[in-house]
Amino acid sequence: MVLRVAPEIMAKLKILEFPDPRLRKKAVPVESVNDELRTLIGDMFETMYDAPGIGLAATQVDVHKRLLVADVSPDKSEPHALINPVIVEKDGVTVTDEGCLSVPGYYEEVERAEQIRVRFLDRDGEEREMEATGLLAVCIQHEMDHLEGKLFVDYLSEAKRQRIRKKLEKERRHTAVVM
Amino acid sequence: MASAGARTRAVAAEVVDAVVSAGQSLDAAIAAHEGKLPPGDRSLLRMLSYGVVRHQFRLQEWIDALVSRPFRKRDSVVNALLAVGLYQLRDTRIPDHAAVSQTVEATRALRRPQLAGVVNACLRRFGREDLASVPARSEASKWNHPAWLIERLRADWPDDAAAILTANNARAPMWLRVNTARQDVADYARRLADAGIGATSWDGVPGALRLAEPQSVDDLPGFADGDVSVQDAAAQVAGPWLMAAQPRRVLDACAAPGGKTGHLLELDPGIALTALDSDPERLGRVSENLARLGLDATIVAGDASKPEEWWDGKQFDAILLDAPCSATGVIRRHPDIKLLRRDADIDALRALQRRMIDALWPLLQPGGRLLYVTCSVLAAENDTLVKGFLETHDDAVEDTVLHNNNIRDVMRRKACGYQVLPGTAGVDGFFFACLVKKVS
Repeated sequence: MVLRVAPEIMAKLKILEFPDPRLRKKAVPVESVNDELRTLIGDMFETMYDAPGIGLAATQVDVHKRLLVADVSPDKSEPHALINPVIVEKDGVTVTDEGCLSVPGYYEEVERAEQIRVRFLDRDGEEREMEATGLLAVCIQHEMDHLEGKLFVDYLSEAKRQRIRKKLEKERRHTAVVM
Repeated sequence: MASAGARTRAVAAEVVDAVVSAGQSLDAAIAAHEGKLPPGDRSLLRMLSYGVVRHQFRLQEWIDALVSRPFRKRDSVVNALLAVGLYQLRDTRIPDHAAVSQTVEATRALRRPQLAGVVNACLRRFGREDLASVPARSEASKWNHPAWLIERLRADWPDDAAAILTANNARAPMWLRVNTARQDVADYARRLADAGIGATSWDGVPGALRLAEPQSVDDLPGFADGDVSVQDAAAQVAGPWLMAAQPRRVLDACAAPGGKTGHLLELDPGIALTALDSDPERLGRVSENLARLGLDATIVAGDASKPEEWWDGKQFDAILLDAPCSATGVIRRHPDIKLLRRDADIDALRALQRRMIDALWPLLQPGGRLLYVTCSVLAAENDTLVKGFLETHDDAVEDTVLHNNNIRDVMRRKACGYQVLPGTAGVDGFFFACLVKKVS
C-alpha cells in the first residue's frame, strides 16, 4: 500500500501518556473520509514508525475519532489503516506480552482473541472486511480498546496498574528536570 | 501498540551489564533474564548478548570516544545498552534505523528515559563519524581480548597467536556425537537430512557430525532417547584415546556435566565407571545425561584433589582428568571468559591442576593410563604442568602414540602432550597428555 501523502508534509504527533485523562475519552465514528483524514493517517503512520510501534489509535494522538493504524511487519511493508473498525467475528484465545506507546517501557501479558474478522472503511471510504491472526489480530484489538478509552493496563490488577502509574509520573517529573 | 523489539534490546543490556559490571557468567545472566521475554524473542536476545560480550573491548572504546563523560555507576546498564546499539549497527543485518529507534526506546524499558537523548546522539554520531573505520587504539580493542591474555598467547604461540585470537572471536559451529553403539554415523546423518538438517562428518573423529546451522536439541532426531549428544569434536578425542587400552575400572574425575562420561560408556558399557565431581548440583546433570543415554555409572560427590575423602582404596586402570582450567580454548563458545578471567587466575588454576594430578596418580594401577585434558591453550596449564609432573614422578612416562592417525594433522606436538588449537578443522581448543604408570 502506498501512502497517499508526500513524506515532506507529514508530521510527527505527540503521543499522550498514561494516566492522561484524554486517553479515557470514547472516540466518535468518522463521518467523512476526506483529505484531512488522510493527512492524519499519514501523520499517524509517521508517529507510529518513529516511536517505534506497531499500532497507533487516533485517541493516543488526542484525536477522538474511530481510526487506527497498524503495521506488524519488520520492514514497514504491511501498513493498515482502519476507519470505524468493527469486529464481526472472534475465535480462539492467545496470550501476548503487550506494550503500549502510551505506557512506555512496560510489557505485560494480555489475553485476547487469536483470530478476528474486522469490518472497516479504507482510505477511500470503501467498506471492507479483513481476517487477521497472530500479532496483527492482537494489535487491532489493542488499538480498538483505545477507541473505547481503554488501555492494556486495565487488564492488570489494580495494584500493578497503580505501580506503573506512579513510576511513569515520577519519570516524567524527573525527565522534565533533566532535559 | 509498542514494538517488542525495544524490550529485547533492554533485556540484552541487562544481560551484558550483569556480565560486565557484576561479573556474572553469560549463560547464568541469560538464564536469569530471558524469562522476561516471550520465547520468540529469545534467539535475538542470545545473538545480541553473545555478540556484545564477544566484541566488548572494541565497543567500549567507541563508547568512551562518543560520551563526554562516563556513565554513572548506577547507569551502567545504559552503557551496556549503548554497546548493544553499536553492535547492531556494526555487526548485524538489522537495518540502522530500526537498531537506533529500538535501542533509544529501550531506555524507557530500563527506566532511564532521561538518557534517551544521549543514547540517540551517540548512535547517530557513530554512523556519521564512521568510527568503525578508525583504527583500534589498543591491542585489547584491536583483538577484543584482555591485554594479559594477548601477551600470554603471544608468548606461548609466537606463530599462531593471531590465528587463535581471530578464531576465538568467531562463532562456534555445533557438533554432535553420534552414539555409534546404536547406529553408524552415516545412518544418523541420513536421519538429520530427512529432518532437513545439514551435517558433515570429519575423519579426525569418526563419531562426530558438524551441523551446518546450530539447532535446538529438541529438533535433533532421537536426542531424547540418547541416539546423539551435543559435544565438540575435540572433546570427543578423549574417550577413544582412554579406552584404546580396554580398561575395566575407570575414573572420570571432574565429570560434570557428563559429556565425556557418557562417551566412555557408549564406547564400552561394560566398564565399571566412577563419575566424580565436587559440585553436587552439577552432578545432577551427569545423572540426567546418563539417564538419557540409558547408561550407568557410580556417581560420587568429591574433590579430585582429596581422594582420601571418597576413594574406596581399589585402584583404577584408567583415569580421565578433564581438569578445571582457564577455558581459553573455548572462548568462541564462552566469550565472557575474556571479561571474567584475570591473569592471577591462571596461577591458581595451575596449582589446583597440579594438586589434582598429584593426588590422583596413586589411584592408578601400574600399567594403567591417565589422560590429562584441558580446554586451555596456555602452556602453564598444559605442557609446562605435565612436564613438571613427569619430572617429579619416576613411575610416570608419557605415551605419545596417538590412538587415531586421522587427528595427527590437527594435533600440535608440545614438549609434553598434544594441543589442538581453536578453529582448526572447526573444533575447540583442547590439550591432551596420556601418562602411563610404569610397572616396577
